[in-house]
Amino acid sequence: MLARLSDVTKRYLRSEGLRSVTLDFPAGEVVGVLGLNGSGKSTMLKILAGLLVPSEGTATVFGGAPRRNRARVVYLGETDALWAWMTPADAERFMVGLYGDFDVVRFNDLLDSLEVPRRKTKAMSKGERGRLRLAMALARNARLYLLDEPLAGIDLLSREKILTSIVKEWHTDETILLSTHEVAEAEALFDRVVFLRDGHLALDACAEELRSGGRSVVDVFREVLS
Amino acid sequence: MTFWRQFNTLMWVEARRSWVWAVALVGSLLFWAWGMNQVDLVDSAEQLGVRAIILVVACGIGAIVLCLMVGRIRSETRHGQYQVLLLTPPSGYVHVAARFLFAGITAIIYYVIVGGLAWWAIAQAHLQLDAGSVAQLVIACPLYGVAVGMIPVLAWTILLMVFISSYRIAGPGWIPGTVMILATPFLGRWIVEGIWRVSYRLPGWRLFEGLRTAIDTAAWEAEVEGFQGVFALPQEPLWIMLALSALMLAVAGRIWQEVEG
Repeated sequence: MLARLSDVTKRYLRSEGLRSVTLDFPAGEVVGVLGLNGSGKSTMLKILAGLLVPSEGTATVFGGAPRRNRARVVYLGETDALWAWMTPADAERFMVGLYGDFDVVRFNDLLDSLEVPRRKTKAMSKGERGRLRLAMALARNARLYLLDEPLAGIDLLSREKILTSIVKEWHTDETILLSTHEVAEAEALFDRVVFLRDGHLALDACAEELRSGGRSVVDVFREVLS
Repeated sequence: MTFWRQFNTLMWVEARRSWVWAVALVGSLLFWAWGMNQVDLVDSAEQLGVRAIILVVACGIGAIVLCLMVGRIRSETRHGQYQVLLLTPPSGYVHVAARFLFAGITAIIYYVIVGGLAWWAIAQAHLQLDAGSVAQLVIACPLYGVAVGMIPVLAWTILLMVFISSYRIAGPGWIPGTVMILATPFLGRWIVEGIWRVSYRLPGWRLFEGLRTAIDTAAWEAEVEGFQGVFALPQEPLWIMLALSALMLAVAGRIWQEVEG
């Protein structure tokens, strides 16, 4: 088991991000983490990344505390968080210096395939910055990838490039947790879908079983979350 | 090997994110030098006094800018770069050490140049210092001042910002910040009084032993009375402040390990 949430609740000052959620994430699946705004998707991914600590329950990644295993987990946050001075070459230096599993050749291939311009991020569009951040994330040889809304606010062509890259770079021993609102575009990727509503786990289902039952993930999304 | 690679990378990140501040700070000394050069009084002692006041102002403003430079965790938190740093494998101690070291090196460069300006002002006042006194003025005094004054202030600023950000997710980040800022003057007074009590129990470091002779030789119009020509810097403040700084940085590094992002 790569990651596990056991009865996890996360409370903020005036709200709850996650409520008694229990989930296991074995190796080798692409999991769609779906829900409306404020449903707890980002909270769940941040807990697995070690950025948040559960208020109750336990989260484990690779059998230990997520924070202690952060070198082995890839987390792509929803925030457009790169420094304005950073170029793709700077990003490469940053990642090579800090992450032992960063693959420079793969990174440059991703930059080419995602058509990331070689200039400072402050001179890039939001889509270009999003593609650079994805290239930084996918160029690592990790086994657990937590991608929080990598498609948000990005144009259609960039979204297609990002989804193509995720499919291309995925290996069978890796698990990807992908949260997105672009359910229709991403649903072909998913082996499994986890629906969250108001911090609760609303549904945890195999995507293939849903499809064989004649329903798309989008249909189920509407049914479960409406 | 991995540690040094990560540390070097974090130092490089610090340099990239703060080089404008550092260059502007050191460059601002050109302004202060210009200001000192504009002071044109007949009496050399008075002229030296005014120039010394300008240098004291430069020291104070330099300290404020350095604190702002290391204390930008709040803006990084809002824009997400802090989250990127929290996610990286190096421990909080390494992150804090890199941030502190870059600011410390900048402070040393800044205050050594201030020491150089002090030497220039003294030379303009027709005081001829011996080589030992010049080295003490330009190197030893700035290093002592940075160690006793600037390093603890930088360590305190880093601790303050990390402490505030540790409460950010829960909401009341301003409460620990306010408490720590309000506590700062009391803590400062308590530390200064404590250090004052124990100072000079160890032998002091004697400085500027040729200064009295230089003053007499310069034959200023205004008489410098009561000055015997020897300063003695106490050792105790240096060791106490360095130890306190190390403690504050260690606590900041430990808190960094637990900060939510």
